[in-house]
Amino acid sequence: MNVSVQRARPRLGTLVAMRVEGLDEARAVAAIDAAFVEVQTVHRCMSFHESASDLSRLHAAAVGTAVEVDTRTVEVLHCALEIAELSAGCFDPTIAAQAVAWGMLPRPDSPYAPDPRANWRDIELIDGSRVRLRRPLWLDLGGIAKGHAVDRAIDVLIEAGATQAMVNAGGDLRVAGPREEIVHLRGACAAGAAGVVAIANAALASSSGLTTRKRHHGRWVGAHLQGRTRAPVGTFSSASVIAQRCMIADALTKVVLAEPALAQRVLAAYGAQVATHSARHGWRGMGIAA
Amino acid sequence: MQVRWLIPMGAAAASVAQIAYATQYMSVQQAQTAAFATATEFRAVSAPDAATASALGAAAGWLPRIFQARAGDKSLGWLIVDQVIGKSELITYALALDGDGTVISVEVLDYRESHGSEIRLPAWRKQFAGKTAADASALSNGIKNISGATLSCRHLTEGVQRLLKLYKVALQPSAAEAG
Repeated sequence: MNVSVQRARPRLGTLVAMRVEGLDEARAVAAIDAAFVEVQTVHRCMSFHESASDLSRLHAAAVGTAVEVDTRTVEVLHCALEIAELSAGCFDPTIAAQAVAWGMLPRPDSPYAPDPRANWRDIELIDGSRVRLRRPLWLDLGGIAKGHAVDRAIDVLIEAGATQAMVNAGGDLRVAGPREEIVHLRGACAAGAAGVVAIANAALASSSGLTTRKRHHGRWVGAHLQGRTRAPVGTFSSASVIAQRCMIADALTKVVLAEPALAQRVLAAYGAQVATHSARHGWRGMGIAA
Repeated sequence: MQVRWLIPMGAAAASVAQIAYATQYMSVQQAQTAAFATATEFRAVSAPDAATASALGAAAGWLPRIFQARAGDKSLGWLIVDQVIGKSELITYALALDGDGTVISVEVLDYRESHGSEIRLPAWRKQFAGKTAADASALSNGIKNISGATLSCRHLTEGVQRLLKLYKVALQPSAAEAG
Protein backbone atom coordinates (compact mmCIF):
# COMPACT_ATOMS: atom_id res chain seq x y z
CA MET A 1 0.00 0.00 0.00
CA ASN A 2 1.28 3.45 -0.89
CA VAL A 3 1.73 5.73 2.07
CA SER A 4 3.32 9.01 2.97
CA VAL A 5 6.54 8.44 4.88
CA GLN A 6 8.41 11.24 6.66
CA ARG A 7 11.73 11.27 8.46
CA ALA A 8 13.82 14.01 10.05
CA ARG A 9 17.42 13.80 11.20
CA PRO A 10 20.03 16.29 12.36
CA ARG A 11 22.27 16.95 9.34
CA LEU A 12 24.11 19.91 7.78
CA GLY A 13 24.03 21.72 11.12
CA THR A 14 20.25 21.83 11.03
CA LEU A 15 17.27 19.52 10.92
CA VAL A 16 16.76 17.84 7.53
CA ALA A 17 13.23 16.55 6.92
CA MET A 18 12.11 14.41 3.98
CA ARG A 19 8.74 13.15 2.83
CA VAL A 20 7.90 10.72 0.02
CA GLU A 21 4.62 9.52 -1.42
CA GLY A 22 3.76 6.90 -4.01
CA LEU A 23 5.91 4.07 -2.65
CA ASP A 24 5.16 1.24 -0.26
CA GLU A 25 6.58 1.78 3.21
CA ALA A 26 9.70 -0.36 2.88
CA ARG A 27 10.72 1.26 -0.41
CA ALA A 28 9.90 4.71 0.92
CA VAL A 29 12.12 4.18 3.98
CA ALA A 30 14.93 2.80 1.78
CA ALA A 31 14.65 5.80 -0.57
CA ILE A 32 14.81 8.24 2.34
CA ASP A 33 17.81 6.41 3.82
CA ALA A 34 19.60 6.65 0.44
CA ALA A 35 18.75 10.34 0.18
CA PHE A 36 20.19 10.96 3.66
CA VAL A 37 23.40 9.18 2.57
CA GLU A 38 23.61 11.58 -0.40
CA VAL A 39 23.09 14.58 1.93
CA GLN A 40 25.91 13.31 4.12
CA THR A 41 28.18 12.90 1.08
CA VAL A 42 27.58 16.51 0.03
CA HIS A 43 28.34 17.56 3.60
CA ARG A 44 31.55 15.52 3.68
CA CYS A 45 32.74 17.13 0.43
CA MET A 46 31.88 20.74 1.20
CA SER A 47 32.05 21.13 4.98
CA PHE A 48 34.19 24.03 6.18
CA HIS A 49 34.73 22.30 9.53
CA GLU A 50 35.65 18.71 8.59
CA SER A 51 39.37 18.24 8.01
CA ALA A 52 38.92 15.63 5.26
CA SER A 53 36.48 17.68 3.16
CA ASP A 54 37.39 18.90 -0.34
CA LEU A 55 37.28 22.43 1.03
CA SER A 56 39.72 21.66 3.86
CA ARG A 57 42.08 19.90 1.43
CA LEU A 58 42.01 22.97 -0.84
CA HIS A 59 42.78 25.19 2.16
CA ALA A 60 45.63 22.90 3.25
CA ALA A 61 47.26 22.73 -0.22
CA ALA A 62 49.88 25.17 -1.46
CA VAL A 63 48.46 27.95 -3.63
CA GLY A 64 48.55 27.03 -7.31
CA THR A 65 48.35 23.27 -6.71
CA ALA A 66 45.68 21.31 -8.59
CA VAL A 67 43.54 19.53 -5.97
CA GLU A 68 41.40 16.46 -6.78
CA VAL A 69 37.83 16.97 -5.58
CA ASP A 70 34.45 15.27 -5.90
CA THR A 71 32.42 16.07 -9.03
CA ARG A 72 29.72 17.43 -6.70
CA THR A 73 32.16 20.04 -5.37
CA VAL A 74 33.02 21.13 -8.91
CA GLU A 75 29.33 21.33 -9.76
CA VAL A 76 28.66 23.59 -6.76
CA LEU A 77 31.71 25.75 -7.45
CA HIS A 78 30.65 26.08 -11.10
CA CYS A 79 27.24 27.36 -10.03
CA ALA A 80 28.83 29.65 -7.40
CA LEU A 81 31.14 31.22 -9.99
CA GLU A 82 28.25 31.69 -12.44
CA ILE A 83 26.21 33.56 -9.81
CA ALA A 84 29.30 35.50 -8.66
CA GLU A 85 29.76 36.73 -12.23
CA LEU A 86 26.06 37.56 -12.78
CA SER A 87 25.93 39.42 -9.46
CA ALA A 88 29.19 41.32 -10.07
CA GLY A 89 30.69 39.65 -7.00
CA CYS A 90 27.85 40.37 -4.55
CA PHE A 91 27.74 36.61 -4.13
CA ASP A 92 31.27 35.38 -3.56
CA PRO A 93 32.26 31.96 -2.14
CA THR A 94 35.67 33.32 -1.03
CA ILE A 95 34.29 35.33 1.89
CA ALA A 96 35.37 32.87 4.59
CA ALA A 97 38.34 35.01 5.73
CA GLN A 98 35.91 37.74 6.83
CA ALA A 99 33.61 35.25 8.56
CA VAL A 100 36.64 33.82 10.42
CA ALA A 101 37.70 37.34 11.47
CA TRP A 102 34.20 37.94 12.87
CA GLY A 103 34.27 34.64 14.73
CA MET A 104 31.40 33.22 12.67
CA LEU A 105 33.66 30.39 11.40
CA PRO A 106 36.68 28.72 13.05
CA ARG A 107 40.13 29.33 11.54
CA PRO A 108 40.81 26.49 9.08
CA ASP A 109 43.98 24.43 9.11
CA SER A 110 45.79 26.27 6.35
CA PRO A 111 49.48 27.08 5.67
CA TYR A 112 48.69 30.62 4.53
CA ALA A 113 46.79 33.73 5.54
CA PRO A 114 44.20 34.74 2.93
CA ASP A 115 45.07 37.54 0.54
CA PRO A 116 42.60 40.40 1.14
CA ARG A 117 42.51 41.03 -2.63
CA ALA A 118 41.48 37.44 -3.39
CA ASN A 119 37.99 36.89 -4.78
CA TRP A 120 35.93 34.42 -6.82
CA ARG A 121 38.03 35.07 -9.93
CA ASP A 122 40.94 33.33 -8.19
CA ILE A 123 39.15 29.95 -8.27
CA GLU A 124 40.08 27.92 -11.31
CA LEU A 125 38.04 24.87 -12.31
CA ILE A 126 40.57 22.88 -14.30
CA ASP A 127 38.20 20.07 -15.28
CA GLY A 128 35.35 18.03 -13.82
CA SER A 129 37.38 16.90 -10.82
CA ARG A 130 40.25 19.32 -10.25
CA VAL A 131 40.36 22.79 -8.73
CA ARG A 132 43.19 25.28 -8.29
CA LEU A 133 43.32 28.45 -6.17
CA ARG A 134 45.35 31.22 -7.80
CA ARG A 135 45.67 33.29 -4.63
CA PRO A 136 45.63 32.34 -0.95
CA LEU A 137 41.93 32.31 0.01
CA TRP A 138 39.40 30.42 2.10
CA LEU A 139 36.18 29.15 0.59
CA ASP A 140 32.82 28.99 2.32
CA LEU A 141 30.16 27.09 0.41
CA GLY A 142 27.66 27.34 3.27
CA GLY A 143 25.61 29.72 1.15
CA ILE A 144 24.97 27.21 -1.60
CA ALA A 145 25.98 23.65 -0.67
CA LYS A 146 22.94 23.10 1.54
CA GLY A 147 20.72 23.85 -1.44
CA HIS A 148 22.72 21.41 -3.52
CA ALA A 149 22.28 18.71 -0.87
CA VAL A 150 18.50 19.27 -1.07
CA ASP A 151 18.58 18.98 -4.87
CA ARG A 152 20.58 15.73 -4.75
CA ALA A 153 18.22 14.27 -2.13
CA ILE A 154 15.19 15.12 -4.29
CA ASP A 155 16.88 13.41 -7.28
CA VAL A 156 17.41 10.25 -5.20
CA LEU A 157 13.76 10.21 -4.02
CA ILE A 158 12.34 10.75 -7.53
CA GLU A 159 14.67 8.14 -9.07
CA ALA A 160 13.43 5.70 -6.43
CA GLY A 161 9.92 6.17 -7.82
CA ALA A 162 8.34 8.72 -5.49
CA THR A 163 5.40 10.51 -7.09
CA GLN A 164 5.54 13.41 -4.63
CA ALA A 165 8.57 14.34 -2.55
CA MET A 166 9.73 17.10 -0.22
CA VAL A 167 13.13 17.79 1.29
CA ASN A 168 13.56 20.60 3.81
CA ALA A 169 17.01 21.38 5.22
CA GLY A 170 16.16 23.80 8.01
CA GLY A 171 14.17 26.07 5.71
CA ASP A 172 15.92 25.50 2.39
CA LEU A 173 13.49 23.19 0.68
CA ARG A 174 12.31 21.69 -2.58
CA VAL A 175 9.11 19.97 -3.55
CA ALA A 176 8.72 17.62 -6.51
CA GLY A 177 5.55 16.14 -7.92
CA PRO A 178 2.29 17.38 -9.37
CA ARG A 179 0.68 18.51 -6.13
CA GLU A 180 1.05 22.06 -4.91
CA GLU A 181 2.46 22.38 -1.39
CA ILE A 182 2.01 25.26 0.99
CA VAL A 183 5.09 26.78 2.56
CA HIS A 184 5.01 29.11 5.52
CA LEU A 185 7.66 31.83 5.56
CA ARG A 186 8.99 33.00 8.88
CA GLY A 187 9.61 36.73 8.90
CA ALA A 188 12.60 38.64 10.15
CA CYS A 189 11.18 40.15 13.32
CA ALA A 190 10.86 38.37 16.62
CA ALA A 191 7.08 38.19 16.35
CA GLY A 192 7.56 36.35 13.08
CA ALA A 193 4.96 37.85 10.74
CA ALA A 194 4.15 35.06 8.35
CA GLY A 195 4.09 34.92 4.60
CA VAL A 196 2.54 31.99 2.80
CA VAL A 197 3.22 30.63 -0.67
CA ALA A 198 2.05 27.57 -2.59
CA ILE A 199 4.60 25.90 -4.87
CA ALA A 200 4.87 22.83 -7.07
CA ASN A 201 8.08 21.46 -8.63
CA ALA A 202 10.03 24.31 -7.16
CA ALA A 203 12.60 25.13 -4.51
CA LEU A 204 12.43 27.80 -1.85
CA ALA A 205 15.32 29.03 0.28
CA SER A 206 15.44 31.69 2.97
CA SER A 207 18.39 33.49 4.50
CA SER A 208 18.68 35.93 7.35
CA GLY A 209 21.53 37.02 9.54
CA LEU A 210 19.00 37.81 12.24
CA THR A 211 19.30 34.66 14.33
CA THR A 212 23.11 34.51 14.25
CA ARG A 213 23.93 38.22 14.44
CA LYS A 214 26.24 39.59 17.12
CA ARG A 215 28.16 42.77 17.93
CA HIS A 216 31.70 42.92 16.59
CA HIS A 217 33.80 46.09 17.09
CA GLY A 218 30.71 48.21 17.54
CA ARG A 219 28.59 46.96 14.63
CA TRP A 220 26.24 44.09 13.91
CA VAL A 221 27.70 41.19 11.95
CA GLY A 222 26.06 37.94 10.94
CA ALA A 223 26.28 34.85 8.79
CA HIS A 224 25.92 36.81 5.53
CA LEU A 225 27.95 39.49 3.85
CA GLN A 226 28.17 41.42 0.61
CA GLY A 227 30.85 39.70 -1.46
CA ARG A 228 32.37 42.78 -3.05
CA THR A 229 32.51 45.11 -0.04
CA ARG A 230 32.66 42.35 2.59
CA ALA A 231 30.18 44.33 4.70
CA PRO A 232 27.64 42.44 6.84
CA VAL A 233 24.14 42.16 5.34
CA GLY A 234 20.79 40.78 6.45
CA THR A 235 21.32 41.34 10.16
CA PHE A 236 17.83 42.88 10.35
CA SER A 237 16.10 41.34 7.35
CA SER A 238 15.36 38.05 5.66
CA ALA A 239 15.02 37.05 2.02
CA SER A 240 13.17 34.09 0.52
CA VAL A 241 13.76 33.07 -3.08
CA ILE A 242 11.86 30.57 -5.20
CA ALA A 243 13.70 28.94 -8.09
CA GLN A 244 13.69 25.67 -9.96
CA ARG A 245 16.67 24.31 -8.04
CA CYS A 246 17.39 24.78 -4.33
CA MET A 247 21.09 25.48 -4.97
CA ILE A 248 20.11 28.50 -7.08
CA ALA A 249 17.46 29.67 -4.61
CA ASP A 250 19.92 29.33 -1.71
CA ALA A 251 22.65 31.38 -3.44
CA LEU A 252 20.23 34.04 -4.72
CA THR A 253 18.98 34.82 -1.21
CA LYS A 254 22.48 36.16 -0.49
CA VAL A 255 22.38 38.39 -3.59
CA VAL A 256 19.00 39.77 -2.53
CA LEU A 257 20.27 40.52 0.99
CA ALA A 258 23.45 42.12 -0.42
CA GLU A 259 21.98 44.29 -3.16
CA PRO A 260 18.23 44.14 -3.80
CA ALA A 261 18.30 46.35 -6.91
CA LEU A 262 20.98 44.37 -8.69
CA ALA A 263 19.34 41.14 -7.57
CA GLN A 264 16.41 41.85 -9.93
CA ARG A 265 18.57 41.08 -12.94
CA VAL A 266 20.08 37.93 -11.45
CA LEU A 267 16.68 36.64 -10.34
CA ALA A 268 15.34 37.22 -13.85
CA ALA A 269 18.23 35.26 -15.35
CA TYR A 270 17.07 32.19 -13.40
CA GLY A 271 13.33 32.86 -13.59
CA ALA A 272 13.36 33.17 -9.81
CA GLN A 273 10.95 35.00 -7.53
CA VAL A 274 11.59 36.74 -4.24
CA ALA A 275 10.04 38.03 -1.03
CA THR A 276 11.92 40.01 1.59
CA HIS A 277 10.94 40.85 5.12
CA SER A 278 12.27 43.37 7.59
CA ALA A 279 10.85 44.73 10.82
CA ARG A 280 10.84 48.24 9.33
CA HIS A 281 9.24 47.52 5.94
CA GLY A 282 7.38 44.27 6.57
CA TRP A 283 6.98 42.03 3.53
CA ARG A 284 8.09 43.23 0.13
CA GLY A 285 8.34 41.66 -3.26
CA MET A 286 6.24 38.51 -3.44
CA GLY A 287 6.93 37.70 -7.05
CA ILE A 288 8.71 40.83 -8.13
CA ALA A 289 12.04 41.83 -6.59
CA ALA A 290 11.58 44.86 -4.35
CA MET B 1 8.01 25.53 -11.49
CA GLN B 2 4.64 26.73 -10.25
CA VAL B 3 4.24 29.53 -7.69
CA ARG B 4 1.20 31.12 -6.03
CA TRP B 5 1.87 33.81 -3.44
CA LEU B 6 -0.83 33.71 -0.79
CA ILE B 7 -1.78 35.86 2.13
CA PRO B 8 -0.12 36.28 5.48
CA MET B 9 -1.61 33.87 7.99
CA GLY B 10 -4.52 35.22 9.94
CA ALA B 11 -4.75 38.36 7.83
CA ALA B 12 -8.50 38.34 7.96
CA ALA B 13 -8.64 37.65 11.67
CA ALA B 14 -6.94 39.14 14.69
CA SER B 15 -3.81 41.20 14.51
CA VAL B 16 -1.89 38.54 16.36
CA ALA B 17 -2.21 34.97 15.13
CA GLN B 18 -0.72 31.87 16.67
CA ILE B 19 1.04 29.76 14.11
CA ALA B 20 1.57 26.15 14.97
CA TYR B 21 3.57 23.73 12.96
CA ALA B 22 3.74 20.11 13.99
CA THR B 23 4.83 16.90 12.35
CA GLN B 24 4.95 13.38 13.67
CA TYR B 25 7.69 11.46 11.90
CA MET B 26 7.83 8.16 13.76
CA SER B 27 6.29 6.44 16.75
CA VAL B 28 8.52 5.10 19.52
CA GLN B 29 7.77 1.61 18.28
CA GLN B 30 8.77 2.46 14.70
CA ALA B 31 12.04 3.92 15.97
CA GLN B 32 12.68 0.77 18.01
CA THR B 33 12.22 -1.62 15.10
CA ALA B 34 14.05 0.66 12.63
CA ALA B 35 17.15 0.63 14.85
CA PHE B 36 16.92 -2.98 16.07
CA ALA B 37 15.20 -5.11 13.43
CA THR B 38 16.13 -8.39 15.16
CA ALA B 39 15.06 -7.45 18.68
CA THR B 40 12.43 -9.60 20.34
CA GLU B 41 11.91 -7.33 23.33
CA PHE B 42 12.36 -3.69 24.32
CA ARG B 43 12.69 -3.71 28.07
CA ALA B 44 11.92 -0.42 29.81
CA VAL B 45 14.67 0.74 32.14
CA SER B 46 13.98 3.23 34.93
CA ALA B 47 14.82 6.86 34.26
CA PRO B 48 17.89 8.42 35.87
CA ASP B 49 17.40 9.70 39.42
CA ALA B 50 17.41 13.40 40.23
CA ALA B 51 21.07 13.41 41.33
CA THR B 52 22.23 11.84 38.05
CA ALA B 53 20.06 14.20 36.02
CA SER B 54 21.42 17.20 37.84
CA ALA B 55 25.03 15.98 37.44
CA LEU B 56 24.42 15.81 33.68
CA GLY B 57 23.18 19.39 33.67
CA ALA B 58 19.61 18.47 32.76
CA ALA B 59 16.67 20.71 33.59
CA ALA B 60 14.41 19.76 36.47
CA GLY B 61 11.89 17.11 35.52
CA TRP B 62 14.09 15.56 32.85
CA LEU B 63 12.58 12.19 32.08
CA PRO B 64 14.18 10.33 29.18
CA ARG B 65 12.52 6.99 28.37
CA ILE B 66 15.13 4.25 28.18
CA PHE B 67 14.67 0.86 26.50
CA GLN B 68 17.09 -2.02 26.34
CA ALA B 69 16.81 -3.83 22.99
CA ARG B 70 17.08 -7.57 23.52
CA ALA B 71 17.07 -10.71 21.42
CA GLY B 72 16.31 -13.44 23.92
CA ASP B 73 18.94 -13.12 26.67
CA LYS B 74 21.25 -11.02 24.56
CA SER B 75 21.40 -7.24 24.84
CA LEU B 76 21.58 -5.56 21.41
CA GLY B 77 21.79 -1.98 22.63
CA TRP B 78 19.68 0.90 23.82
CA LEU B 79 17.00 3.24 22.54
CA ILE B 80 16.52 6.45 24.48
CA VAL B 81 13.60 8.79 23.81
CA ASP B 82 14.09 12.35 24.96
CA GLN B 83 12.79 15.88 24.37
CA VAL B 84 14.60 19.15 23.78
CA ILE B 85 13.05 22.58 23.95
CA GLY B 86 14.33 25.50 21.89
CA LYS B 87 13.17 29.09 21.67
CA SER B 88 9.96 28.13 19.92
CA GLU B 89 10.37 24.48 19.11
CA LEU B 90 9.86 21.19 20.95
CA ILE B 91 11.60 18.16 19.50
CA THR B 92 11.06 14.57 20.61
CA TYR B 93 13.79 12.31 19.32
CA ALA B 94 15.20 8.81 19.69
CA LEU B 95 18.86 7.95 20.07
CA ALA B 96 19.81 4.35 19.30
CA LEU B 97 23.09 2.98 20.69
CA ASP B 98 24.64 -0.43 20.10
CA GLY B 99 26.01 -2.55 22.97
CA ASP B 100 29.28 -0.57 22.97
CA GLY B 101 27.57 2.80 23.15
CA THR B 102 28.20 3.64 19.49
CA VAL B 103 25.48 5.75 17.88
CA ILE B 104 23.35 3.76 15.43
CA SER B 105 20.93 6.56 14.61
CA VAL B 106 19.26 9.76 15.74
CA GLU B 107 15.67 10.04 14.53
CA VAL B 108 13.24 12.87 15.18
CA LEU B 109 9.91 11.43 16.32
CA ASP B 110 7.95 14.61 16.76
CA TYR B 111 8.58 18.25 15.89
CA ARG B 112 6.49 21.17 17.10
CA GLU B 113 7.02 24.83 16.53
CA SER B 114 4.76 27.66 17.51
CA HIS B 115 5.03 31.36 17.84
CA GLY B 116 2.85 34.40 17.80
CA SER B 117 2.70 36.15 14.47
CA GLU B 118 1.90 39.80 14.12
CA ILE B 119 -0.15 40.55 11.07
CA ARG B 120 -0.54 44.31 10.80
CA LEU B 121 0.46 44.87 7.23
CA PRO B 122 -2.54 46.33 5.40
CA ALA B 123 -0.50 47.61 2.45
CA TRP B 124 0.97 44.21 1.79
CA ARG B 125 -2.38 42.49 2.31
CA LYS B 126 -4.10 44.73 -0.19
CA GLN B 127 -2.12 43.23 -3.06
CA PHE B 128 -3.83 39.97 -2.33
CA ALA B 129 -7.37 41.20 -1.88
CA GLY B 130 -9.83 38.61 -3.07
CA LYS B 131 -7.59 35.67 -2.39
CA THR B 132 -8.10 35.80 1.35
CA ALA B 133 -11.39 33.97 1.77
CA ALA B 134 -10.67 31.30 -0.81
CA ASP B 135 -7.34 30.38 0.66
CA ALA B 136 -8.09 30.78 4.36
CA SER B 137 -9.32 27.25 4.97
CA ALA B 138 -6.45 25.69 3.04
CA LEU B 139 -4.02 27.69 5.12
CA SER B 140 -5.50 26.87 8.48
CA ASN B 141 -4.58 23.22 8.18
CA GLY B 142 -2.21 23.06 5.25
CA ILE B 143 1.05 24.17 6.82
CA LYS B 144 3.45 21.30 6.40
CA ASN B 145 6.56 23.12 5.26
CA ILE B 146 8.30 26.03 6.87
CA SER B 147 11.09 28.31 5.74
CA GLY B 148 12.96 31.18 7.34
CA ALA B 149 16.37 31.88 8.75
CA THR B 150 17.97 28.46 9.08
CA LEU B 151 17.17 26.89 12.42
CA SER B 152 20.10 25.62 14.38
CA CYS B 153 19.91 22.07 15.72
CA ARG B 154 22.12 23.05 18.66
CA HIS B 155 19.57 21.94 21.27
CA LEU B 156 19.23 18.56 19.62
CA THR B 157 23.02 18.13 19.47
CA GLU B 158 23.30 19.06 23.15
CA GLY B 159 20.51 16.61 23.98
CA VAL B 160 22.30 13.77 22.20
CA GLN B 161 25.51 14.61 24.03
CA ARG B 162 23.72 14.49 27.38
CA LEU B 163 22.30 11.06 26.53
CA LEU B 164 25.78 9.80 25.61
CA LYS B 165 26.98 10.91 29.05
CA LEU B 166 23.95 9.23 30.60
CA TYR B 167 24.95 6.02 28.82
CA LYS B 168 28.45 6.26 30.32
CA VAL B 169 27.31 6.80 33.90
CA ALA B 170 24.21 4.60 33.98
CA LEU B 171 23.93 2.10 31.12
CA GLN B 172 27.38 0.97 30.01
CA PRO B 173 28.10 -2.55 31.40
CA SER B 174 30.94 -1.46 33.72
CA ALA B 175 28.73 1.28 35.18
CA ALA B 176 25.89 -1.17 35.75
CA GLU B 177 28.20 -3.56 37.57
CA ALA B 178 29.73 -0.81 39.65
CA GLY B 179 26.27 0.47 40.54
